[in-house]
Amino acid sequence: MKKKYLYLIMSIIGIALIVSAAVLGDRISDTVNGVFAGIGAGLAGLGFAMWRFCRLEEKEPAVWKQYEIESRDERNVFIRLRAKAAAGEVLQWIVMASAWAAIFLKAPLWVVLVAVGIFLFKTVLEMCLMARYQKEM
Amino acid sequence: MKNRLEELRKMRGVKQEDLAAALEVSRQTVGSLENGRYNPSILLAFKIARYFDMRIEDIFIYEDN
Repeated sequence: MKKKYLYLIMSIIGIALIVSAAVLGDRISDTVNGVFAGIGAGLAGLGFAMWRFCRLEEKEPAVWKQYEIESRDERNVFIRLRAKAAAGEVLQWIVMASAWAAIFLKAPLWVVLVAVGIFLFKTVLEMCLMARYQKEM
Repeated sequence: MKNRLEELRKMRGVKQEDLAAALEVSRQTVGSLENGRYNPSILLAFKIARYFDMRIEDIFIYEDN
């Protein structure tokens, strides 16, 4: 119950931030305006979605129970994790391909370096996580 | 790995939906288990064995190849 009101407050704050960004307009810098609008949209969207989930839990317990079963179902969890891993792998190689494309298209050096940096970061992160999970399991 | 899930479920006249609800998994998972497309975790295998009041090895048949 407390969570429901927390999410409601969250979405109200989000809406207030969006309204503030719109009302204040030119009186604040573009950066602050963007931050207000961005954080506001995020808070409002997340808060409203979570508030709706809480309402569903209260009003339709059977539907909610089924939703919980579906989201915790071990096959669904396995499918989700496998899909995420595969998507991550594909994305990593797309980033590398874009680095090569940037070289051939004579893009600025920083573009190539950022792409290679992302590729290396993903590889290192993967290794760190593997080491962590090796210890845990 | 083969299993006798479908056979046991039908023998007891249980619907996939009811078995899924008892095991707290989705109906699709029960279907995948029955088709042999998905092998359960050891926890789910124990749950299934307890539901049918049988041993795991009497439901799931391990084959070397």
